[in-house]
This record gives sequence, C-alpha cells and structure tokens, in this order.
Amino acid sequence: MSQFAAYTIIGLSLGGIFALAALGIVLIYRVTGVLNFAHGAMGMFSTFVAWQVFYGYPHPGLPQWAVTAEAIAAGLAFAVVLGLVLELAVFRWVRDRPQITKAVITIGVLLALQSAASLIWKNNQYHLPIYLAPQGATFKLAEVPIGANYIVIVVVALGLAFGLAAFLRGTAFGRSMRAVSDSSTTAALWGVRVDMVGAVSWMLGSLIAAVAGILITPFINFDTTSLTLLIVDSLAAALIGGLVSLPLTVLGGFLLGLLETYPTMWIQSLGLPRLIALLVILAVLIIRAPRGLPSVAK
Amino acid sequence: MPGHVTRFAMAIVAFAILARLPVGLDTGFQFDAALALIWGFGILSLVVLTGYAGQVSLCQATFAGVAAYGAGMTVSSLHGGYLLGIVAGVFAATVLGVIVGLPALRLHGITLAIVTLGIALVFDKYVFQDHLFDWFTGGTGGWQVTNASIFGISVDSREHLLAAYDILLALFCLVAVLLVNLHQSGAGRRFRAIRDSELAASTMGVNLTRYKLLAFAISAGIAGLGGSFYPLIAGSVSPQPFWVFTSLQLAAIGVLMGVRYVPAAALGGMFMAVVPDVLTRYGHGTFMSRFNYDISYDWFQIAVGVLLVLQLILMPDGVWGDLRARAAAMRIRPVKKVRPA
Amino acid sequence: MTMLRIRNLGVRFGGVVALHGVSLDLNRGEILGLIGPNGAGKTTLFNCISGVVQPSEGTIHFEGRSLRFAPPHERARRGIARTFQNLQLWGSMTVLENLQVPIDAVGRRNTLSDALGLPLSHYAERSARERARAILHVLDLDGYTQRLAADLPAGIQRRVELGRALAMQPKLVLLDEPAAGLDAGETEHLAQLLHKVRERFRVSMLLVDHDMSLVMRVCDYIYVLDFGKVLSRGEPAAVRNDQNVIAAYLGEATPELAEPEPGPTVVTGLPRTDAVEVARASGRLLEVSGLAAGYGRLEVIRDIDLTVQAGEVVACIGANGAGKTTTLRAISGVVRPRAGRVVFAGRDIAGANPERISRMGLAHIPEGRGLFPRLSVEDTLRLATDTSGKPENLAAAFDVFPRLKQRRRQAVGTLSGGEQQMVAMARAILVQPRLLMIDEMSQGLAPTIVRQLFQMIDVFRSQGIAVLLVEQFVESALAVADRAYIFEHGSIAHEAAAEELRRDRSVIAGSYLGTAAAAPGDAIEVASNGNGHHKRITDPQLMEILSMRVPAEVKRALEERAEREGRSAGALALELLEGVDR
Repeated sequence: MSQFAAYTIIGLSLGGIFALAALGIVLIYRVTGVLNFAHGAMGMFSTFVAWQVFYGYPHPGLPQWAVTAEAIAAGLAFAVVLGLVLELAVFRWVRDRPQITKAVITIGVLLALQSAASLIWKNNQYHLPIYLAPQGATFKLAEVPIGANYIVIVVVALGLAFGLAAFLRGTAFGRSMRAVSDSSTTAALWGVRVDMVGAVSWMLGSLIAAVAGILITPFINFDTTSLTLLIVDSLAAALIGGLVSLPLTVLGGFLLGLLETYPTMWIQSLGLPRLIALLVILAVLIIRAPRGLPSVAK
Repeated sequence: MPGHVTRFAMAIVAFAILARLPVGLDTGFQFDAALALIWGFGILSLVVLTGYAGQVSLCQATFAGVAAYGAGMTVSSLHGGYLLGIVAGVFAATVLGVIVGLPALRLHGITLAIVTLGIALVFDKYVFQDHLFDWFTGGTGGWQVTNASIFGISVDSREHLLAAYDILLALFCLVAVLLVNLHQSGAGRRFRAIRDSELAASTMGVNLTRYKLLAFAISAGIAGLGGSFYPLIAGSVSPQPFWVFTSLQLAAIGVLMGVRYVPAAALGGMFMAVVPDVLTRYGHGTFMSRFNYDISYDWFQIAVGVLLVLQLILMPDGVWGDLRARAAAMRIRPVKKVRPA
Repeated sequence: MTMLRIRNLGVRFGGVVALHGVSLDLNRGEILGLIGPNGAGKTTLFNCISGVVQPSEGTIHFEGRSLRFAPPHERARRGIARTFQNLQLWGSMTVLENLQVPIDAVGRRNTLSDALGLPLSHYAERSARERARAILHVLDLDGYTQRLAADLPAGIQRRVELGRALAMQPKLVLLDEPAAGLDAGETEHLAQLLHKVRERFRVSMLLVDHDMSLVMRVCDYIYVLDFGKVLSRGEPAAVRNDQNVIAAYLGEATPELAEPEPGPTVVTGLPRTDAVEVARASGRLLEVSGLAAGYGRLEVIRDIDLTVQAGEVVACIGANGAGKTTTLRAISGVVRPRAGRVVFAGRDIAGANPERISRMGLAHIPEGRGLFPRLSVEDTLRLATDTSGKPENLAAAFDVFPRLKQRRRQAVGTLSGGEQQMVAMARAILVQPRLLMIDEMSQGLAPTIVRQLFQMIDVFRSQGIAVLLVEQFVESALAVADRAYIFEHGSIAHEAAAEELRRDRSVIAGSYLGTAAAAPGDAIEVASNGNGHHKRITDPQLMEILSMRVPAEVKRALEERAEREGRSAGALALELLEGVDR
C-alpha cells in the first residue's frame, strides 16, 4: 500500500511537469497558431542556464537557498528572453504560413537549440540536479513519508496552472490574449496589440517550459536530449486537452504522469513510459477524431 | 516532359558520373559517399510520402533502423546471405510502414507529426535500446557484419567499400527513376489527388485506405532499402544512427532541399553525410572546437536547424524547388508554373 | 425504374438534426432537382449519398443494392459521381490530370507497372488521356487541358468538376450548385449543356441549385427540402405554384422571427452632448484620396475619393463586388492600400497597422460582425473598454441593450445573429469612436432588430460619432444617412445627398441593380407573405421587401449567392421572383 502511495506521488509530480510543459504548448498554439516542437528544447536550454549558475561558479558566503534562487532567476530570465527572441526573429515573419510549415520551423529550432546546448554542456552525461527543497526533507502524509521535492512540483504545477487561468480570465491582458486566440485579425480591429500579445505568449510559454525543466532535474538522468524529448509526453498531454482546453490539458498531464509511473513498479524500462504515452495519444486521438472526412466534418 | 527511355538514359549517365566520384578518395570519404546514399534513400522516402501523398512523418530513420537491424539479424543470427538480409530488412520496414500508416487513416497534419514522432521515440528508447529486444538488436554490441557478398560481389566496410557504394548507387538511380515515373503515372496522380483534396479523391474512386497505406509502405520500404545497407558499410549496427534526432534531421533536410523533388533527395543525402565529416576534418583547431571535441554532429545540426528556419522563411519550396523556379524564370520562353517531378 | 431509392433518411450532428425522415426516388435517365433555403440539408443529403457522411438512420439503395457499408470510392465505382459546392479540384494538377484520376480509378491500374513504365501502363495512359480530351471537348474546355486547375477562374473550375465527374463513367451525377458564380447568360448555357450531357453520357442527375430558373428549366421532377424534411415534391409547374414552397422561399414575417423587443430604444445614461456642433465645426474627419487596394494579383478598388465630416452619417451603396467592403478594409488597415492617401483626424494612416488606427478612434465592424466567439459578452465589452482606455463601465451598453445584460456570462458565439450585432454596437457605445464603419449591419437579421440597429445609428449621430455605412439594403441606409457614395466596379460612380437619392430612384436603380432582369420602374407581380395575395409593386420597393420581410436564412442565402456571383442581391431576387411567378 505504501509502495502504491509512493508511486502515486511520483506519478503526480511527473504529471505536474507534463502538465506545465503542455500548458506552455497550448498557450503558444492557441495565441500564435504555432505548434511548438521546440518547447522541450527551450525548457532544456533555460534549465541548463540555471544549472550553470548553480554549479558553474563559486558562490562564496551565500547560503544554499540564495544560490538556488539566483540560479532559478537566471534560468527564468533567460527563458523569457529566448521566447522573445524567437518570436521577433522567426515566428513574426511566418504568421500567415500554413500551420504545418510553422511546425516544421519549430523542428529547425529544436535541432539548433539541442545542438547548441550539447556543444556547451556536452551530451549524454549525468548532470547534478537543482533541488528546490533540501534533498532529504520529507513530509509524512498518512504514515507515508514523501520527499519534499515531489510536493514542490505538484504545488508549483497547480499554482502556475491556476495562476495562468486567473491571468487569462481576470486581467485586461489576459482578455486580449483570449481575443487574439479566437481571431487575430479581429483582435487587431479592436485595437488589441497583436504583436505584443504574441510576444508575451511566447515569453510566458518559454517561462513555463523553463519552470518544468528546472523542476524535473532531480527525477531524471537529465541531459540535453532527455529534456528536449520531454516534448513527446507534453504533446500527449496537450492533445488530451485537444490543444485547446487548459483544464483538460492539466488533467491530461497528471493522468499521463500516473500512467507512466505505475508500470515501473513491475518493469524497469527506458522505453515503456514513452510507449504508454504514445498509446494514450493514439487512443485519445482516435476517440476524438471526427467521423468521416475532415473537410466535411467542420 | 521526357519519356521513360530518356529518364532511364539520364539515370544511367548519372550513375556513370557519380560512380567515378569517390574513386581515389580515402576510406573516410568513401564511407561518406555510401552513407550519403543511405540518407538519400531516407529523404527519397519522404518525397513519396510527403511530397507526393501529402502525409507527414517524423519517423523515417526508424524505418531505416528496423531494416538495418533486420538485415543484421538475418545475416548474423540466422546466417542468411546478405541479399536475404536486405530482403528481410526491407520487408520488416515495409510492414512497420503499413502499421504506422494505420493512424494516418484518421489523422492529419500536425497530429500525425506528433504521433510519428512518438513512434520514433518509442523505437529509439524501447526497441533499439531495451534488453527485451536483444534478439533483434544483438544486444549492446549490435550485429557485426564482415565478409558479406551480394551476387558474388564481395562487399564489406573495409576493403570493398566502393563495391557497396556502386550497388547502392545503382539502386538509388533505379528507385529515383521509378519514383519520377510514378509521379507521372496513375498511382502518382492518385497520391497527389489525396494530397490536394482527400474529399474529392475519395468520391472520385480513389481508395484512401489503400493508397495512404501504399504510400506509407513504399516510403518505409525505400527508407528500409537504404537502412539495410548500413551494417554492410559500417560493419556493425548501433542505435545511435537511427535515433529520434536522425528522423527529425531527415525531415528537416528533406524540407530544406525541397521535399517534392526527387533530385533534392540526392542533394540532401550528400549534405547529411559529407558536411559533418568535413567539419570534423577541418574544424579542429578553429573556433568550432572550442566548446566540445565532438564538433561534427553538433555544428552540423545547428546548421541544419538554422538553414531550415531561413529556408522556410525565404524559399518555401526548398532549395531544389527554388533553383528550378529561378532557372525557369531565367529562360525566355513564357513562364509555366513549375511542377514537381 | 428506380435507380436511387432513399427511405426515411436521418442525419444528426451532435444535437442538430440536419435531415429527418427524407425519402426520395430517382429514376434512370431523370434529372431530379433538389431545392430549398440554405441549411435545408441539401448538401448533407449529397454527402450521405456519396458516402462522406454516415446517416444515423434510414437506407439508401442504388440500383437495388444497399449503400450502407460502401465507402465513398466504392460508391464512385458503382457509378455515383459528384461535384462540390466549394470547389474541390486538385489544384496542383493540370485539368487533364484531374480527369485522368477518375478514369484510372474505374479501370483498375497497377502501381508497379506504372512505376516501371511497362507498355501495359502506356496504353492505359494513352487511352485515359484520349477519353479525358473527349470529355473536355464536349464541355468546351479544350483550351485548358494543360493548365493547373488552381489557376483557373471559378466558373471554369465548376465546368472542370463536371468533366471530372463524367470521367468516372457514372450512372448518376450529383451536381452541387453548378450555377453558382455564373451570370444569366452562362446559366442559360449550362442548362443546355446539362441536357446535352444527359444525352451524350446517358446519366441521371441530382441537381441542387439556388437558381430557380435553372432548376425549373432543367429538371423533370423536383423535391423541396426545408429544415431537413421534404416539404413538397412534384413536377416543376406544380412546385412553382405550391404555397408552402413560396412561403419557404420568400418567407413571411412569422411570430418567431419578429422577436419581441421591449418597446422602442430609450437611450439613457449616454453623454448626450452638444458634441454634434463641436464635431461638425471641426470639419473633415476622414479624407480618402486616390485609394487603391486589392488581394494578390487582383486590384479590387482604385481611385477612391471619399470624405466623411465629423458627426455625419455616410452610406456606401452599390452591387456586391463593387468594392465597398474592400474600401472599408483599406481604410481600417486590414488590407494594405496600394496607392493613395487616407487622412484621419489630420494624420495620414495609409499603411498603418489596424491596431494603431483603431486606437486613434476609428472603429470598424466588419462583415460577420467581428467578434470573438469564445469570449463572454461581458469579457468582450471589457475588452472594448480596455483597448480604448475608456473607464470600465458597462452600464451604458447594458442600458441600451438590456438583453445583453441577461446574457452577459454567455459566450458570444452562442448568441443569435441579432444579439451578436448588438454586442458589436455596444462596443461602439462604450468606446465612443470618432468614426464608426459598419459593414453589412443588417445581414441575416430579423426586421425588428434591423430597425432597432438603424435607430442606433441615429443615436450615434446625435452623439457626434460619424458613421460610414456599407449596406446592401439601400432604402434603410438612405433613410438614415446624410450622404451616399454609389460604388460601381471598384470606384465611386456617384455621390449625392441621401435625400436626393431617395427622391430620384433612377440613379440607384441604374447602378445598383446593374443587369437586373427587370428594367427600372417595371412593375412585377409578387406573391407576398405567402397568403396568396398578389400585389403589384415597383422594383425599388422590392428592395424594401427584401430587407424587411424575408427570413434571415433566406436573406443570407440570397446574399451569399449574390456575393459568389458578383451580382446584387436585388437583381437576384428579381430573377427568383420571376421564376416563381412564371
């Protein structure tokens, strides 16, 4: 029983990360129409910037929490700049292109970012994780000890999801973002600054990806490729929400996390979680796909 | 429009010229030449699938990998001849192609891209690297292939690399001609009809299920044909060449060179095999080796990414398509809209 | 002998019933007409027959065999071919290739021998090409064989689609609005062509079209669909005189359509200022000179000179396709002007982006109302106040449109057309722009709502807001406007005071009705309100009938078709009425 509970917690925290990454994907997709295959790579690069600040330089006299905060701030700041640069340098110029073309462009971005990171931080080697809570700290929940870092992930994921929802519902800028996601042409006629909304959603999406990347470092053998390839699980979660619904996306993320974790109670395998992710995508897509031909079933 | 005979003649001339190309070069470049053709097959497979039939796939390297392991297993573990290995490899890839094609019956565009990326990742992490499949992959060491022969011609990775290159090149030229023929023929038109409007295609008597699966089967078979030669020219198989990033690179370079055009595949294959090697040879001691010793792969992939982004912004029909259009515009006769070949 | 037998067919999309209990018989060699207002389920029926939509109940038999489990391509091979309302040619292929695909599909070809270029394929290829050429010749398309389908004009594409359907060697051809986009002469030609096709290719046809003159001329028998059910059927002459049919087409002011509206609009809480005086004194608000714009290679408008004084209501009228909408779009920056100046409030805004122009106080309500379907009413109005920097007080809007207050939490996409237009107008109330441009305000709306909206324009004027109005329904527009510009073929043909135009209708009749079947001033007989009372009315009044008495669906259908054909809705309506009356 306690083993089951432990796996549930692990699954939930993994799911929290998928949910976060998927939130960023859905946000960018809805506002700018770009399905971002480079989302994992962007989170990866920002995570490595944080890692560099954390481990790369001496921090004489600073307490551990201050170093952590500094590293995270650096990573997040980099993520925001990266999102902005990509929007300004690349995606602003291809706004009217077909959706699939924009998706292929993100594959180019993925390849470039992944290689650049691998040049700087070397590939396929174990990197020390960034802990938000002290490594050994545990809570006891109904007699089951739970690592504090797992709790942090679930809390941050839920917090960011609700925060994003509140931002979109309750603020003027959030309304503009929803307006642009419905129709950017019309939004322009209403005086909404479409360019700015696009830029902010890229920055926000990139920021969330960085948060997901930093949070996951204690739990996987994290290197440039494994973080980049988190994109597959995140896209699976995003597809559960139909690339539209934010609540369903978050739910999908947690569901997928649990699904990928429980089987590892019995089988140790590199690929099994991904196989499950793939099967979940397929099942969801086949259930969701409209009957008949796409051009008819509008 | 050149007829069939002209096309075959052009292919033979191309073979004669290209076969001379790596003669006299060192083994490294000879290996590159053969590798260029293997990746050339990979991109050719995208020309059929994406360029003709309009279906998206991000798992072409997986097809090649399955064929490579299939060929390796047949030769090493079942002690078949290499020819049998190739047949087995292509067969395995084709079967996988049909299976991957099944979701394409319901999915389109970006969702299909996501699913095929998932398939590439599953095979990379699960099949090629998991101990469950050691019988297929030969374990961590992979299959070793030495002293193989095809039609009595000795081919292997050390002494007879050029023989392998020639056979590959002949096959490549043949497949290229067949694909151009296909484009102009009934089946090619049906593929293009599916690409332009599935709705009209199905109501005009094109069996969508059959032709989508056929496109995936042909495509996977072509990718597999290239892949099944990999153990031969490299001497062994490992997961690395066929991992998920190779699939992404194949798609990226295919689009970069012009995914609707057969010659773009040759161009792309060459680019994919030769550029990393050139970077390794001449890049050391320059700024490129400042960060990392293994410069070939990473600098190359950065270049692919950046070029792809630039190409999609500046010349959407790909390098080959754009060159063709410019050449056509420079001729004085009235400009006809360029059609893919 | 019955070739196609449909029994009790029903189709549901989610909660929407598209077809219900439809039964239909088509005999060999027959041309069967299928008519009915838009949304009546005609295209859905086509989709069921050709297999792209699965019916939820009922049966379809073709030549005695059930089509239940036959996929679309199988039905095609059994002899059912079709065309599409929204053209579905294979654009990157030549016309010849477009015809070869169905020819190949019928005469099974081998992929391997195709790729190898074996003689077998050669012969098949050559015979397919010959057959395709023959069909193209019959359809008068010889000149287009090697052209890419996407490069052809829509009218030609429709004919190629017919050719492609015939290339299947079908027994039954389903024609979905073959006359859309054709003018009267071309439609006449099409009617002859269809008869010729029936004789040459020995096919039966099922024909959907809005053009009554075509349907009445060509068809042997007619089914009338309305709201997914068979309303009536019979020979053309019988259908033509069927009161139910006339009512469905021309409509009557039924109680549901005349939505009860609580009294006349009382505008309270609005800053009723002496703004008018101030605004007028400040002179020209918008000054457009030499404006040209277009899409792609097409130049739609040129040499547009137009001014709007502050606080003035100006109407733009003219046939569909005359360039009114493009003019508004070029002014608001949705379309980039190619030449000319647009001076708004003293600043040249030509080429500026729409956001900036909007923030300068120029609000543009485009066709289709330009709203955000997923935003709630309240959020939409908040968005309006956010972007204009006006205080966030929605009370003013809710005072004018109390119904919006009830629906404030509802997503705009789920509102009725009238309520959506209210939201669009409420935005203007909140934002108080200096110039409000409204495109096709009354499109598809019930008469009472239209009346209320026109009253709003009077209110705007009283607040000193200038209004530039594009309106299909001339009479209502002229009633509210101070001045009007008459557009013809992409430029302004005439400018006059609205008063003057109302007195002298010949000016409008000449340019607005264009090639209308009836000459201006001619009296025609109209069956109004479906009561069987016939009235004699003159054609300018006809416009009023169209603008006020016709149900929204019919009007939208009419306008959509007019848009497609590049003609005025008025001219179309005349033809329609003639067809019914004949």
